[in-house]
Amino acid sequence: MTLLAISDLNVSINEEVILKDVEFTVDQGEVFGLVGESGSGKSMTALSLMNLLPKGSDRTGQIILDGKNLIDLSEKEMCSIRGRDIGMIFQEPMTALNPVMTIGNQVAETLIIHGGYSRSEAMTIAREKLARVEMPPNRFSPDLYPHEISGGQRQRVCIALAIALRPKILIADEPTTALDVSTQAQILDLLKLLVKEEQMSLLFITHDLAVIARMADKVAVMQMGRIVEMKTTRELFQDMKHDYSKKLFAASSYIPETKSKTRGGSFLEVSEVYRAYKLPSRRLLDKQNYNVAVRGVSFSINKGESLGLVGESGCGKSTLSRTILGLDPLQKGRITVDGVEIISGRKMPHSLRKKMQVVFQDPFGSFNPRHKVGRLVAEPFHLLEKSLSASEQRERVVTALLEVGLRETDVDKYIHEFSGGQRQRIAIARAMVIKPDLVILDEAVSALDVSIRAQILDLLNDLQIQHNLSYLFISHDLTVVRAVTDRVLVMQGGEIVEEGRTDRIFDHPQHDYTKRLLQASPRIPAEWVEKETSQRCHTS
Amino acid sequence: MLHYLLSRIISLLLSLAVASLVIFFVIEIIPGDPASFMLGLNASPETVASLKAELGLDQTPMIRYFNWVSGLVVGDFGISYTYKVPISELVVDRIQVSLPLALYALLLSTAIAFPVGLIAASKRGGTADFGIMGFTQLGIAVPNFWFAMLLVLFFAINLRWFSAGGFSGWDTGFWYGIKSLTLPAIALALTQASILARVMRSALIDTLSQDYIRTARAKGLSQRRVLIKHALRNAMIPVLTILGLQFSFLLAGAIIIENVFFLPGLGRLIFQAIIQRDLIVVESVVMLMVFAVIVVNFLVDLTYAVVDPRLRRDG
Repeated sequence: MTLLAISDLNVSINEEVILKDVEFTVDQGEVFGLVGESGSGKSMTALSLMNLLPKGSDRTGQIILDGKNLIDLSEKEMCSIRGRDIGMIFQEPMTALNPVMTIGNQVAETLIIHGGYSRSEAMTIAREKLARVEMPPNRFSPDLYPHEISGGQRQRVCIALAIALRPKILIADEPTTALDVSTQAQILDLLKLLVKEEQMSLLFITHDLAVIARMADKVAVMQMGRIVEMKTTRELFQDMKHDYSKKLFAASSYIPETKSKTRGGSFLEVSEVYRAYKLPSRRLLDKQNYNVAVRGVSFSINKGESLGLVGESGCGKSTLSRTILGLDPLQKGRITVDGVEIISGRKMPHSLRKKMQVVFQDPFGSFNPRHKVGRLVAEPFHLLEKSLSASEQRERVVTALLEVGLRETDVDKYIHEFSGGQRQRIAIARAMVIKPDLVILDEAVSALDVSIRAQILDLLNDLQIQHNLSYLFISHDLTVVRAVTDRVLVMQGGEIVEEGRTDRIFDHPQHDYTKRLLQASPRIPAEWVEKETSQRCHTS
Repeated sequence: MLHYLLSRIISLLLSLAVASLVIFFVIEIIPGDPASFMLGLNASPETVASLKAELGLDQTPMIRYFNWVSGLVVGDFGISYTYKVPISELVVDRIQVSLPLALYALLLSTAIAFPVGLIAASKRGGTADFGIMGFTQLGIAVPNFWFAMLLVLFFAINLRWFSAGGFSGWDTGFWYGIKSLTLPAIALALTQASILARVMRSALIDTLSQDYIRTARAKGLSQRRVLIKHALRNAMIPVLTILGLQFSFLLAGAIIIENVFFLPGLGRLIFQAIIQRDLIVVESVVMLMVFAVIVVNFLVDLTYAVVDPRLRRDG
């Protein structure tokens, strides 16, 4: 039975067309997937269903939910539909909950405003609902505040408050994108279970094809505000028709062509590195407690080699990279950069720091928005022993920009004038401008759309071959790590639990944790993809 | 929470200690000697010296500092050089005007600023918001003594609803007291309300763009309820900070308004004491005000923790 039928949905914001003739139906109890890259209109589709579009939006067409056209309803009538008939969960569990309200109250609120429950009744049901999302009251008091629980637990609370009144349809907008693989797997399982047991429909929005393969019964692929292809999930993966779907699919499992790399001896040696942070003490005279972020880690990177570093959030990946870069002092252990040894307690000299550069996840957050690109890319020059003249500086900045596929004129632009992919190119140019030997890529492609990611991976590959660069590739995305690294380190609780050649680790993991991690990582079923693996996209 | 409280108390005591030192030594280096000022230009050096001894001014600064501080701790502020009465008596008299005036003005300003800020934030970009932003800009720009004179002209001289100045005292009845403080309180509240309303507006707008507001809307809360139930409390931290600063300002900074309305408040006391080189009064009253400011900030710090649970753990 059709629960939701959308037809001729057109949305524009300030005259700009955002959605064009969107049309699909969701059956009762069905999981309907919407996939596409950022800006394709996935989230806007969900928000127009809820009538929560940004100011200045114009919405026409039909959204029939259970026989009622939502477009005709007044704001007041929509308020009674939201939360009761349609539940919604969002991408960022860290910020999706009110920080000054207890989790119990936030779940109870849904019940109070719609259900006519008293406060105590609502709290009782809230407890049940929290238990429903595997947050039983005996382990997670409803009096906890959001900052007292983890990201995955917060997303569970969001789910609990969205399903509190057992809505007819649940909208999940990238619900696991901000979570690491094992938490993602748990949340996906939970959603599937809830949908089945509570007989809800689920509109699942994601950019991740592997996730959609695991979740959805039916999938619609969106591009530039339109649905370009819509099929059952299996059919879609086995028989893609539209060029864009094919491109998207190919890009998601893209592997840059590896030409023969020049190699050299060891560039970086890390041995028995240890780093702990002071924890704030609860009481004044308590013994000082420490959080050991990195616990006796040893490994090495050769010249021209790509080393992957994987693990869940909080496992010490970022601390380790900060220590290697000399941003955090070394507390115990030794680091050798190109034969020069740094022992604990000593600062890393500039002459060594200039051999290592870093590219972070959020290209926008890592640039000063008030500086022009020329100045941003020139930032690492202060690490050089002899300062360069202005013309030399400009020349090198331009060379670096050209090398990453940007233009000379971009020097005088500001960072907000660029797209996400271009910003990441600028970040790479900034890292390359002083010709380092090692580049640490800290989730450098995680925030990018799949087709842009493919281009950046190509770029990184070219640069590596050209300059015989070493990469330390930190990522929670195992597909990418598998595609681009030679060796992999698996980190858990500040320690390296497994290390080996990439194909060996992925095909024959030894440690339990590695096995769990690989199992949790979403994959498109092998029998669906046999044909496509031979395809290669050339998007650069 | 206990840790937070303790650390706040320690910082409170430290601030007080530092403030007392600074006040004492700043007053110490101000030119002008109370004894010679009191005796006039023609006094003989011997008379000045004996008065100095009588006032305890011939002792070393260190000893005088410790005498002063140990007096303060037990509530003995010393004796005014000019009025020859214990300073505590002077202060008690004056504080009966200044404290109610400050509270009154603060109450008015909060009562105006909260709804006005809420309206401006919820109608952001609309006519109401535009009007409110214009008015509050004006409210900040207009000097309060001038506004006070306008109030006197209109409400006291033309309409004769209030008296033009002076304080009837609380003995004549609570409402008479309130009435004589009303115009000064309005004059003081105008600027404060304008500032507070603007802070409130921008804090709310900031909060309204947060993800949890979207979650609340998706739950089915109306825009109004989201504003009151979710946005307001989260917007309170900057508002409380400004409120704390405003109370301190109103307590000490009402000198001009007290002069316009001839109110015998703390501001006027200090003003006169400075002119008459009654340094012990200046020292003690300034210290008292510093104490009030620090205590208010301490209370604001505690309210932060009430408002925001994240501060209760590891402040």
